[in-house]
Amino acid sequence: MSKKYIYLLLLPGVLFLTIFMLVPIFMTMGTTFFREDGFTVEGYLQFFKDPYFMGILFTTLRVSVITTIISIFLGFPVAYFVSKMGPRKKAFLLLLTIFPLLTSPVVRSFSWMIIIGKNGVLNNILTGIGLIEEPLSILYTPTAIIIGLVHLFLPLIIITLVGVMENIEPDLLTAAESLGASKLGVFAKVVVPLCVPGLVIGSILVFVGSFTAYTTPALLGGKQRVISTFLYQNAITLNDWQVASIVAVIMIVVTVLVISLMNVLAKKLNPRG
Amino acid sequence: MKKLLKSILVMSALTLVLAACSSKEGSKEEKEPEAELIVSTWGFSEDFFRENVYAPFEKEHNVKIVLDTGNNADRLNKVRQGNSDVDVIFLSDYYAQQGVAEDLFEKIDSSKISNLDKIYDVAKAPLGEGFGPAYTIAQFGIAYNADEVKQPITTWKDLWNKDLANKITIPSITSTTGPMFLDAASKISGSKEFNEDQAFAEMKKIMPNVVKEYGQTSEFVNMFSQGEIVAGPIMGMYFASLQEAVPNAKFVTPAEGGYAVMNTVNVVKGSDQKELAQSFINFMLSTEVQEKSAKAKIDSPVNTEVVLTEEEATNMTYGEELVNSLITLDMKFVNEKSKTWIDRWNRELVQ
Repeated sequence: MSKKYIYLLLLPGVLFLTIFMLVPIFMTMGTTFFREDGFTVEGYLQFFKDPYFMGILFTTLRVSVITTIISIFLGFPVAYFVSKMGPRKKAFLLLLTIFPLLTSPVVRSFSWMIIIGKNGVLNNILTGIGLIEEPLSILYTPTAIIIGLVHLFLPLIIITLVGVMENIEPDLLTAAESLGASKLGVFAKVVVPLCVPGLVIGSILVFVGSFTAYTTPALLGGKQRVISTFLYQNAITLNDWQVASIVAVIMIVVTVLVISLMNVLAKKLNPRG
Repeated sequence: MKKLLKSILVMSALTLVLAACSSKEGSKEEKEPEAELIVSTWGFSEDFFRENVYAPFEKEHNVKIVLDTGNNADRLNKVRQGNSDVDVIFLSDYYAQQGVAEDLFEKIDSSKISNLDKIYDVAKAPLGEGFGPAYTIAQFGIAYNADEVKQPITTWKDLWNKDLANKITIPSITSTTGPMFLDAASKISGSKEFNEDQAFAEMKKIMPNVVKEYGQTSEFVNMFSQGEIVAGPIMGMYFASLQEAVPNAKFVTPAEGGYAVMNTVNVVKGSDQKELAQSFINFMLSTEVQEKSAKAKIDSPVNTEVVLTEEEATNMTYGEELVNSLITLDMKFVNEKSKTWIDRWNRELVQ
């Protein structure tokens, strides 16, 4: 096969994505701009003027950002530890990391209900040892959503970070130390900047995952809504596809904005990355 | 390359022929039912229905029953979008009325459903003349955990008690019983007629007591058995599962009145099995099926020929007196208003 035809290999994939992803996305977007009386952005204006919807949007953004930050702080040390292991141990530890991904989010949410519920394991222990008198109300609050989401998406950030950390030359660290940097200095000035690309990809995965997650907020969240449950209510219960499409487009735009923002941030932190 | 293509073609042709042969053989050996009846239903107590309703019906009419399960909203939407082949659909009255308003159901020929004569008058055509009957009437009342409340709950108003802060759940406005609870809130405000503003003002007052709204009764059962809630409004038909988890659970008809939830059966427009679908509805109303499902404590009977002992009638909506005492909402009115209510509920109550 000559080199000219090698692009043909891409054809099935591109065709699939065009028909089943690009076309539906543009169709969804199209319907939100047209009504009986032609082109309009009225639908969007109504949304952004609406304090109720903006409330939902900000709750969702807040939950996703906090989830991402916690995941970074929990995932970074773990990834560093795993990347220092020998190949056998590393393979085993990575397997353990991926393991939770093999259980459905529904099952995981239910197990969290058992742990953080009013008569749950956590509250029983805390009241048992006398630390608190009244059980804590964690379940059905945004905190419960964050706990569930961190559990859900932590593996993603660990895996991406391990991938990046493996490629850091040990010689670089030795060089830094021989030039007088302390252990902490090496970590902060050499390891962390070199990990920025992994951090960015990992954070994007966690953020987008949390922003669009449906099952976890639906099961662990309480009275307040997040954007995906709002979308579901409009599409399925109210059968209002116009509003649902607008929400979907807003979600896509927010995601793209956040991704670009993170890329800009990454360039600032690590210009050579 | 050409050779490869040819051999693939030959192979696939062969497989087709083989497949055709084998299916012919199959039909010779066992008599396959000719027709299929697609039934859209919730899916609870499926074992019971499979054994006592579907299997006998399949046998009598030489038909295969195929189930499509899910909650009211999802299943109604499938029919709305017009690309489903459902013949018979089970829906609560709230959702069924939406289907009627949108012209999704066939009119029923009541002369073909002889068992209609045996059921309560209120159940005959709750959606309007010519549409599907209710095959069961459930009572929407209050369940509570007697170990965890200071005083027994006897009225809807008791749910507003400050002692229950963060200890109850209420149905979401998009579920069948949501509008009923809103109506109860209006009653509590002291208004005789339904008063939307006063109802929402009362709803605002109850929100500090609410941990979470429930969209499906299974959520209620979970929260109740996990101790997340101690009380809440629920349909009586699910009380048995609450009692399994919490032995000291109680179900009460509130003093202001319980509400009637009617589950209806309808024939979907464009069904190619209209006759069969009507026979199925007739069978659902038969004394035989009604008695079995009542005794298994699955659905309260609407058939007046069904006789239950006191023990069998516990937790069931049984007897003409009780059925007639239940409040029924005007579902047409509810559907006209539901969009406004959902919007107000979202904006004013959910934060």
